[in-house]
Amino acid sequence: MTAATRIRLTGVGKTFVDARSGARQQVLEDFSLTVEPGELVAVVGASGTGKTTLLHIIAGLVQPDAGEVDVGEPRLGVVFQQPRLLDWLSVRQNVVLALEAAGLDPAAADDALAAVGLADYASSYPTVLSGGQRQRVAVARAFAVEPDLVLLDEPFSALDELTARKLRLLLQELWMQRRRTGLLVTHNPLEAALLADRVIVLTGRPARISASYRVDADRPRSAEDKQLFDLHSHIVAAL
Amino acid sequence: MTATDVHVAQAPPASTPTSPRSPRRLRGLPAAAFLGLLCAGWQIMSVLVDSVLVPGVPAIAAELVEIVVDGSFVEQLGVTVLRVGLGFALAFVVAVGIGIAMGRSEFARRFFEPAVLLGLTIPGLVWALLCVIWFGIDLINPVAAVALSSAPALMLTIYQGTRSVDPDLLEMAHVYRFSRVTRLRRLWLPALAPSLFAGARLGLSLGWKVIVLVEVFGMSSGVGYQLNNAFAAQNVAAVLAWTLLFAIVMAVLEYGVLQALERRAGRWRKAVTV
Repeated sequence: MTAATRIRLTGVGKTFVDARSGARQQVLEDFSLTVEPGELVAVVGASGTGKTTLLHIIAGLVQPDAGEVDVGEPRLGVVFQQPRLLDWLSVRQNVVLALEAAGLDPAAADDALAAVGLADYASSYPTVLSGGQRQRVAVARAFAVEPDLVLLDEPFSALDELTARKLRLLLQELWMQRRRTGLLVTHNPLEAALLADRVIVLTGRPARISASYRVDADRPRSAEDKQLFDLHSHIVAAL
Repeated sequence: MTATDVHVAQAPPASTPTSPRSPRRLRGLPAAAFLGLLCAGWQIMSVLVDSVLVPGVPAIAAELVEIVVDGSFVEQLGVTVLRVGLGFALAFVVAVGIGIAMGRSEFARRFFEPAVLLGLTIPGLVWALLCVIWFGIDLINPVAAVALSSAPALMLTIYQGTRSVDPDLLEMAHVYRFSRVTRLRRLWLPALAPSLFAGARLGLSLGWKVIVLVEVFGMSSGVGYQLNNAFAAQNVAAVLAWTLLFAIVMAVLEYGVLQALERRAGRWRKAVTV
């Protein structure tokens, strides 16, 4: 499958109304963004800037109040901040369920788990895994379904830094092998610079794109790369 | 709305066996002591009262042995258990559907809430009477009575259980496009397992009580019918014998079968070792 999915948001607006107080929070207003096929765009911003709302709108979990969302009907691979595994099923079964729902061969689950280094844990329950391993399962599930669109919602921010580093490199490796269209939401500027083809910075409320950077460095990239570190400094300045 | 905010996936209930265990041989001792004292106390009472209305332990035991040996207990129990089983199964299926709907949709909750509250307050005796009047001696009579009397409690328990199902998992199931069947089998039922078992206990205990009433009023077979016969003949020993055996079987079903199933469903919790 080719990475032919394009995300095009035009004039999107979203206001949340608190059910109790009636307070209105306009998170997005007249927001536009295009992600080209095969491009991985990182959205960086402080918490509460509407990054996750943006991802939820693209995933179809939230309906916008205004504007147009044109993503077609992509098959999604999503990694959330928490692994979101079914603890009562084995690691393999967790991946198999997603494969079956996508109409794919369940046998692919073992390859997917091997690709994230968890071949030995396929029959275990997720509850015996460490936080990093559980998130690896979530990554395996996201890529196993041969997604048209990969959505990453703060995928490593609940992990300790050492584990997060390993997982970023794993994600980069997977990305080089099977390029998709992708959106990475993160508050970590270095993570954005390391993984993305383009980094956009969201600020304010309603959110606007305050800066945008193209990352041309060849992959595999290293977090110690001077060029990436400079970019990281620019992003931090724009936040 | 309840305050049960327990995340099933993260916080196993207190049933996880972590308390220090007494030696296996001694664990049954307190229960045996209680039963021994009960028998002794009963026997003393029956000797003191000296009335046919309070038969002694030997008389009750003789009656027990007789109904077990001549096969009537097993036969009548089979009839009763079948009725309860069918009624309970019906209530269970309906309650899972409605209970989940109530947890998922505000409209469904408001719509079914009066039915649940009404159903909870109507005594089982009333259901038994109404079903006898409406359905006579058909099988549908006991089945309906059991279903009607146990469904409200089941619905309430299951509805409350849906509040503890992690909404994040539902979102995950949505983005991976799990089918309805997959969601029910792999997500809702396992996540609701603790509530389902609690509901099953409650529902079954209500069912047993109602079935006996239905059989007393309108059936010509079953444990309740036999109780009624013994009552009509003023055979107190037989009333006690039937009641005792019935209670023992129910306890075995509840503590033996249900608990074994519950342990099976909760196997994954034991895997939490790190």
